[in-house]
Amino acid sequence: MALSGMRGLSVFISDVRNCQNKEQERLRVDKELGNIRTRFKNEKGLSPYEKKKYVWKMLYIYMLGYDVDFGHMEAVSLISAPKYPEKQVGYIATSCLLNENHDFLRLVINSVRNDIIGRNETFQCLAMTMLCYCSYKDIKLVVDIHTSFMAPNLGMNFSYLSNLLQMFQTMGLEVGWEYWRREFAESLAPDVQKLLISSSCRPLVRKKAALCLLRLFRKNPDVVNVEGWSDRMTQLLDERDLGVLTSVTSLLVALVSNNYDAYWSCVPKCVKILERLARNNDVPPEYTYYGIPSPWLQVKTMRALQYFPTIEDPNTRKSLFEVLQRVLMGTDVVKNVNKNNASHAVLFEALALVMHLDAEKEMMSQCVALLGKFIAVREPNIRYLGLENMTRMLMVTDVQDIIKRHQAQIITSLKDPDISIRRRALDLLYGMCDVTNAKDIVEELLQYLSTADFAMREELALKAAILAEKFAPDLSWYIDVILQLIDKAGDFVSDDIWYRVVQFVTNNEDLQPYAAAKAREYLDKPAIHETMVKVSAYLLGEYSHLLARRPGCSPKEIFSIIHEKLPTVSTPTVAILLSTYAKILMHNHPPDPELQGQIWAVFNKYESCIDVEIQQRAVEYFALCQKGAALVDILAEMPKFPERQSALIKKAEDTEVDTAEQSAIKSRAQQQQPSNALVVTDQPPANGSVPIGPLSLVKIPSISSNADANLADQELTHANGTLSKVNSQSARPTSDLGDFLFIEGPPDAPAQENLVSGLESVSNAIDALALTPIDEQSNSVQPIGNIAERFHALCLKDSGVLYEDPYVQIGIKAEWRSHHGRLVLFLGNKITSPLVSVQAVILPPSHLKIELSLVPETIPPRAQVQCPLEVVNLRPSRDVAVLDFSYNCGTTMVNVKLRLPAVLNKFLQHIPLSAEEFFPQWRSLSGPPLKLQEVVRGVKPLSLPEMANLFNSFQLTVSPGLDPNPNNLVASTTFYSESTRAMLCLVRMETDPSDRTQLRMTVASGDPTLTFELKEFIKEQLVSIPLVSAPTPLPSQVQPTSPPVALTDPGAMLAGLL
Amino acid sequence: MIRAVMVINTQGKPRLAKFYDFMPVEKQQELIRSVFVVLCSRAENLSNFVEADSIFGPDTRLVYKHYATLYFVFVFDDSENELAMLDLIQVFVETLDKCFRNVCELDIVFNFSKMHMVLNEIIFGGQVLETSSTEVMKAVEEITKLEKASNAISLVPRSVSSWQS
Repeated sequence: MALSGMRGLSVFISDVRNCQNKEQERLRVDKELGNIRTRFKNEKGLSPYEKKKYVWKMLYIYMLGYDVDFGHMEAVSLISAPKYPEKQVGYIATSCLLNENHDFLRLVINSVRNDIIGRNETFQCLAMTMLCYCSYKDIKLVVDIHTSFMAPNLGMNFSYLSNLLQMFQTMGLEVGWEYWRREFAESLAPDVQKLLISSSCRPLVRKKAALCLLRLFRKNPDVVNVEGWSDRMTQLLDERDLGVLTSVTSLLVALVSNNYDAYWSCVPKCVKILERLARNNDVPPEYTYYGIPSPWLQVKTMRALQYFPTIEDPNTRKSLFEVLQRVLMGTDVVKNVNKNNASHAVLFEALALVMHLDAEKEMMSQCVALLGKFIAVREPNIRYLGLENMTRMLMVTDVQDIIKRHQAQIITSLKDPDISIRRRALDLLYGMCDVTNAKDIVEELLQYLSTADFAMREELALKAAILAEKFAPDLSWYIDVILQLIDKAGDFVSDDIWYRVVQFVTNNEDLQPYAAAKAREYLDKPAIHETMVKVSAYLLGEYSHLLARRPGCSPKEIFSIIHEKLPTVSTPTVAILLSTYAKILMHNHPPDPELQGQIWAVFNKYESCIDVEIQQRAVEYFALCQKGAALVDILAEMPKFPERQSALIKKAEDTEVDTAEQSAIKSRAQQQQPSNALVVTDQPPANGSVPIGPLSLVKIPSISSNADANLADQELTHANGTLSKVNSQSARPTSDLGDFLFIEGPPDAPAQENLVSGLESVSNAIDALALTPIDEQSNSVQPIGNIAERFHALCLKDSGVLYEDPYVQIGIKAEWRSHHGRLVLFLGNKITSPLVSVQAVILPPSHLKIELSLVPETIPPRAQVQCPLEVVNLRPSRDVAVLDFSYNCGTTMVNVKLRLPAVLNKFLQHIPLSAEEFFPQWRSLSGPPLKLQEVVRGVKPLSLPEMANLFNSFQLTVSPGLDPNPNNLVASTTFYSESTRAMLCLVRMETDPSDRTQLRMTVASGDPTLTFELKEFIKEQLVSIPLVSAPTPLPSQVQPTSPPVALTDPGAMLAGLL
Repeated sequence: MIRAVMVINTQGKPRLAKFYDFMPVEKQQELIRSVFVVLCSRAENLSNFVEADSIFGPDTRLVYKHYATLYFVFVFDDSENELAMLDLIQVFVETLDKCFRNVCELDIVFNFSKMHMVLNEIIFGGQVLETSSTEVMKAVEEITKLEKASNAISLVPRSVSSWQS
């Protein structure tokens, strides 16, 4: 092999392999890296052979997972070596090591280009392999390749062409869509098509051409919008060479998945192929795989057929079903694993096709029978696919009853040693569950829960809970299941699940004694999960009086058994327990002085608790207890909950909850809190119509458990609120109400604060503003803060406030990656009435492609909505995108135009360069338009370190010491856009120490527009430094001058921009 | 479409990683690690399928095959047949076996360029290019012949090698 000659490398590898542990290995590797580093420093003495050897060592070290952060230049330089082995390692190393740093490649661009347009096929291969891996982004290179591809003298060089094809389509991943559209789709596709159709081409080229066309098609479906193309496809399916035919079928799959209508004529051909393979066995030996005639082609052909809605033509249908029947019946499980895999690949595809074609009932039950056989075989792959396909079958046809016959076997699969299979079994059981078998299946799941591995428990618990709720034959069974679930897998039972139990029990009187008794039973267990403590405490607080006659269920006994758990539970649960104690006390008639004493002692103890919620409850309940009879009314049983969709089922339906909605709910809950107290005084609502607490509570599925606990507390506070309404309706004397408010009012505030602190900052000032009456408005809404300053600040950082006025706050958060950006606009309504007719329109400049997701027309009171925004930078330009934002608040219509901070420097990325990297590059870019120089006057005086800071904040990397003149400053950066891809930019500033207001600036890059735009950009920054360029410690005498565009007047600003 | 091909040894060291969608190198490493964590916890004689949704996103599938000290892993979307992918792994390994005569991990450590060459003739931009290991060998041998021929003579113009000066 190529490496056998390098003894040093072999020695090193065996050394590493002999290391006893990771530490030894690291030591050995570090030693070697040190050695290589020293050798590379004295590069002059290195022969190409030695270089090659060291680079191989580096590659080996890199493969072991160690960081190799030097020697890249040496590796790259091997690319220009004249001999094949050195060149090869150069290319391989470059493709492995330099993935993240494309700009290094610019240094060898000429070598690569020469290799590609040269006549040496091997070198071409190497160069193209590298391009495949590195996805080098230089359009020019592509154009070169394209040109040579079109050159007639290369027309006959087939392997060269096939290599080019490979590279084109790999690069197609990286080269932007627009470019493909313009350059390739229109000019290249016809040539590829010709290659594919041409009978004189070698199969090697033709199969690559087919796949290349497929890739082109994915980029732009228009490439096959050629008259007569579908006829050609039909002809191509007559191909004899199975390699070409496989590729053509892949292409057909892509085409028909997009639009099958044009390709109906291909259907009979596909059936012919299947007949040729499966029936006639007309296949050359090299395409027979373990005795199966080209399984891939069979699979692909059947896949293609599945994209046609049905097959009408009776003859074709008949022939197809004959083949399918043969496949279904003729496949057996044998000993050879590979043969099994191949034959079953075909078989499962045939099953899928049968299902798709909606065959006769007879054939369907035949399929189910087969699947039933499969899920019991020894071969795990087949068991897995059997279960998966059964699940699929559930969805497609009404064969549930036949599948149910295999329920026992499926349940056995739940205990399969392979977790992949267990998961499939769980999915299938979940899918096949209905009222008739829910009891069996759920009980199986519960039983399995105690032995199931950790990775599956959560899913299992959730699925069991959902099934129990969906298909419960009776409610007591449902209670049993959920309590068992909490008992066995408490950690995986979300609060939603026990809230739901409480709702059911509250709304079903018949269920209450049963639930209470069950809860009491669980409390006898020695160690129970905290969730169990919560739910049983709640249930017993409400309903334990219904059990009073039973043994062990006197109020005293109930209290003491619950109280036993108190030392072990967390704060939110303590709060629930306190409520339970109050309720027990309330139900205790006539009061048992001993019990009363015990409970009062608990309240007394917690009156000084550090947790404000617990303290509040202790104080309140203690005070309420003194009220005697009034307590009964206030702590009466909870009223029924309104009917609502199960949060759990909802969660199953939409696992992903819009975060905006969440925050809206949160802020609504927060807002409603004080309003309840008000409700008590002047407008008693219809009973039970305002249970916002529990409602929002159940509706928030995926909030952290902390927040849930918070809300749970709130619910109980609300419970009091709700009851107080009952109170007010029963016409209590106002003095009582006053007392109540006195107790209830103040503690609300801290609870609310608790919530607020969890939310995104709503400053006090805003709160104050929110109190402004809505209809009393001045005509013009004044923005808070300086819009221009905010914009400039955001040019340098990625999150902050873009705009704020008394009603609305627009925050922004951005992430930038090469030429892509993702911004999220946070539109926050600061007031207590909704903002309507909200509109946000982006006016993008021509160089940015911006997609704004849908902005809701209304922002609910105190809510915040998030609008993601995708930005793609097409070309270098300093133009700025504008957000045209408007809304109505009451009678006021507000419209602002805001610049979005998607500015040029967001597409820059730091890149440090050493002298030997910088200068060749600097020299190679000579003169306009790639290198531009300008003397700039009227510059804000900045010292060199200050200027360096400023540059750094714009992602320009300053390389100190590169320029021999200490008054000069040299910087480098990478600019990303779709047209330039990653482009290295070099900047040099020559300052005059005697006059800091002028300097000479030179900017160079490989793209004339980029050079110009970057130069102008830097000039703007230097001439007017925005006030808030935070990271720069500006001298105090520097005053911000007016920014280049008038910012306060949106109209003028727009005019300036567009 | 095939999204990725990986060869990882039983100690979690990657021996080959080819991603057919653009993927930054750190992400590649992270994915390889996550795949290895899943694979190394799987006993022998289990199925060759692993749920990959949590690693590669929804609708992706992963099949792997364990040969001696190496895991061969293919990641692909639901437009491919799982068992056919498993067959393709077998073809890949059989072809390597023909190349190296009883291929072992060391062959691959030292000759991963060859492994890439073989793979390039089997999968082309995420699509199955050739499924017959005989045909793949033909193509590989053709390239090797070209390589050997060009080894003797230098065809690179002088100006190219002097780019650095």
